[in-house]
Amino acid sequence: MDEIAYSVNPVVVGLVGGLVGALYFAFLRWQTQVGSLNASLLVGAVCGVAGAMLLTAPLGYCMFGADQKNDDLIVGWIMVALGLLLTLNLGSMLLWRFFRGQRLLPRGDTTPGAFRGRFGALYAAAVLSPTILVLVYFVYLPMFDTLRLSTFLARFGAPRTRFICVSNFSRMLSDLDYHSNLFLSFALSFGIIIITMSLALLIAAMLNQPIKGANIYRTFLIWPYAISPIVAGSIFGLLLGTESGIVNRVLDLVFGVKVPWLVTIPAAQISVVLASVWNVIGFNILFYTAGLQTIPKDLLESASIDGASAWQRFARITFPLLSPFTFFLIVTNTIYAFFDTFGLIFVLTRGGPTESTFTAMYRVYVTGILASDIGKSTAQSLILFLIVVGITIFQFRVGQRRVQYGNY
Amino acid sequence: MLRKMALALLLLFIAVGAVMPALAQETIELEAWVAFSDHRYDWAVDTAERFNALYDNINVNMVSVVDYDTIVNNYTLGREDGNYPEIVQLFDAALQFAVDTGWFSFAEEIIAGRDEVLGQAVDFDDIIPVISNYYTVDGVWASVAWNTSTPIMYYNVDMLQAAGIEELPTTWADILDACVALQPMVDDGTISACASWPFSGWFIEQWLAQQNEYMVNNENGRAARATEFNLDTDAYRAIAQFYRDMYSNGYFIFEGQDQWGPTTQNFISGKVAIHMSSSAAARAISEGAAETGFALDTTGMVYNDDAPSGWVGNILGGATMWISNGLSPEAEEAAMAFLLFFSNTENSASWHTASGYVPVRNSSIDLLRNLEPGNEILWDIPSGARVDIEADDWYAAFPNFLTASTQLGNSTVNNATRGSTYGTFQQSRPYYNGLVEEYMLNGGDLDAMIAETNATLTELLQEYNFLFADE
Repeated sequence: MDEIAYSVNPVVVGLVGGLVGALYFAFLRWQTQVGSLNASLLVGAVCGVAGAMLLTAPLGYCMFGADQKNDDLIVGWIMVALGLLLTLNLGSMLLWRFFRGQRLLPRGDTTPGAFRGRFGALYAAAVLSPTILVLVYFVYLPMFDTLRLSTFLARFGAPRTRFICVSNFSRMLSDLDYHSNLFLSFALSFGIIIITMSLALLIAAMLNQPIKGANIYRTFLIWPYAISPIVAGSIFGLLLGTESGIVNRVLDLVFGVKVPWLVTIPAAQISVVLASVWNVIGFNILFYTAGLQTIPKDLLESASIDGASAWQRFARITFPLLSPFTFFLIVTNTIYAFFDTFGLIFVLTRGGPTESTFTAMYRVYVTGILASDIGKSTAQSLILFLIVVGITIFQFRVGQRRVQYGNY
Repeated sequence: MLRKMALALLLLFIAVGAVMPALAQETIELEAWVAFSDHRYDWAVDTAERFNALYDNINVNMVSVVDYDTIVNNYTLGREDGNYPEIVQLFDAALQFAVDTGWFSFAEEIIAGRDEVLGQAVDFDDIIPVISNYYTVDGVWASVAWNTSTPIMYYNVDMLQAAGIEELPTTWADILDACVALQPMVDDGTISACASWPFSGWFIEQWLAQQNEYMVNNENGRAARATEFNLDTDAYRAIAQFYRDMYSNGYFIFEGQDQWGPTTQNFISGKVAIHMSSSAAARAISEGAAETGFALDTTGMVYNDDAPSGWVGNILGGATMWISNGLSPEAEEAAMAFLLFFSNTENSASWHTASGYVPVRNSSIDLLRNLEPGNEILWDIPSGARVDIEADDWYAAFPNFLTASTQLGNSTVNNATRGSTYGTFQQSRPYYNGLVEEYMLNGGDLDAMIAETNATLTELLQEYNFLFADE
């Protein structure tokens, strides 16, 4: 067998993982004071080794090869860290359930109507199978393909591909353009989410007043959501053109100024945010309107009898009771802002001027579809995927503590 | 009883189902994708119907796809899942990709020396040489020329005269002078600015060719497969500087990259005096100018008079029709016959009047110069039908339609003006166009910017070659 030269030996990688795992579990043992220390150390080490290998071993530790660049090595350690994050969390959860004498897996649903009895599981599987098949074929298999392709130099229509280890990822480490794309994605998303949700809440609160024809307003306000981002982009393109746009026509007549909306910074970025807000706000209004209708009137009435001002009623009662909706909307808006705005950008600014509206998702589209450079594009999309998963987990951790569900 | 009837019905369905495909095979169905959706698409549909009327067993169905880029992307993705048309319109930038993928049957090989296909005459000698040259791959006619264009200048003569400009600008220096002369009209609010045109990579390619410069090495990829980018040239720097001069003096309205619609609108609505666009816009701009009520005149694309070589020539642009490989022999024949019909003398002449695309045949130009009553050549946009050209000589009546043919006719054909061919054309355009945009808007260290972009584009090209080129 050929001896492969490594800059970091795979055994060392595994040992590092094992050490981190053992230390983390020992820390947990000390924190919880539950279970045996030796078992914690042992299981922690095993989970650590597994975590270190999880993402690196399938690629044959190529990123630790002696011929790889420094950036590839960094990517390797990031992959180790990601693997550890996964196995250590999972392992500790299971081990401490065991220490506490709980079932390893949460008990199934025992409410009436759940599938029980001898053939319960089988029946449940049969009923679920169409959905699962669709998910496997249209979601999981393509995702696996994405993972595989991200380690290749590949183009549509090419007679061959080339395995390039983690180069698609490591080149992003030093690609300043990509960094600014990512930063921009965060900045624009932040703007879109804040503006959309505050405006939507305001409008929904107004709609909740007993006004004549509220239903008609509601329909009109929700309408933009039925329009695809591409069409929304076209509409705003007609509105915001420097010379031929309708907005500038009006501004010119009234104030004698023309704002170069789509071709200067930060006007172009603001335009993209506003167009996105317009596109997605209907969805938010819909949920907030529904949410407001679930708030018991007697609660608000008794508060106002007790002398609470309108603002106090909103801040102390309405807003907290809306928190499940707010939480849900933050998550879906994040996903919209990261993934769905690229169509709008494509039509409105093409990422310009000078890449100032070039978001990370637009980069994925341009690289993968426009340029057929599918390997790089899948790697970029995986990064985005990890970011959004990360944000969502963060939101769940932080959000759920503050969210109040039902039972008033 | 009921059961028997149901059974009989079922059998009937099965029998019909088995016979139907056999009947359907009688007609050869061909799908053709074109990147137009306006009156040019109407023309293509009408011409396909004219062809279908000639043959009982062939039905060509035109499908409109958004634009040139999208058509390549959709075809590429269609190839992945086996759902693609028999005929597809591909633009110049996709030439190398089309050849490298091996997805197409070459026209000359299908024709194999015959002088007609299903009754449609083959006459390659009639095609204007500069056009046939462009689409010849290794000496073989690859695709069928249909829409061929070249950039030309469009001037609002009334405005130029009001500013005291008698001669139409033909060089960059003339444009800058004209803009100085027009500035008082901008200052008093008569017009918004001197010039507006789409900020497109196509113009950069054209200006490089005019200055006798290559975009990529190995003589633009024409002598051998291109392996390196060639942006570090005075010609490219000059283009960036020209744009910077235009923009920083407020002469040029920038509407973003590749904004063809808004910039054309700026010109025909009388907001600017100078416009540059494809000759394919001649029809639309002529009608727009007539509607707004100003005198329109055209010249060839302005050039850099400081370039050592002067004006060498322009690259032709536009797109050609490709036939997918792996078709049944009958379908391939039918597709070939259709494309020969599509680009024959009468249709090529009619297509020219519909748009401003250059007639690809010499005989079409002759036809347009010696018109008889009852010619039914002019495409009437509102009615969507062909009507008579009432003049005897189309070009005498509409001289702006001759500008493009003259420009191509005067061009020296060499490997600079044949244009570059390399696999990452589509991918690279936003880079060399974006660099000029960046410099135009913000200035900066042009040499450093060029060095960086050149390296990036060379790397992409080499990656492409690694995957596609013969080893």
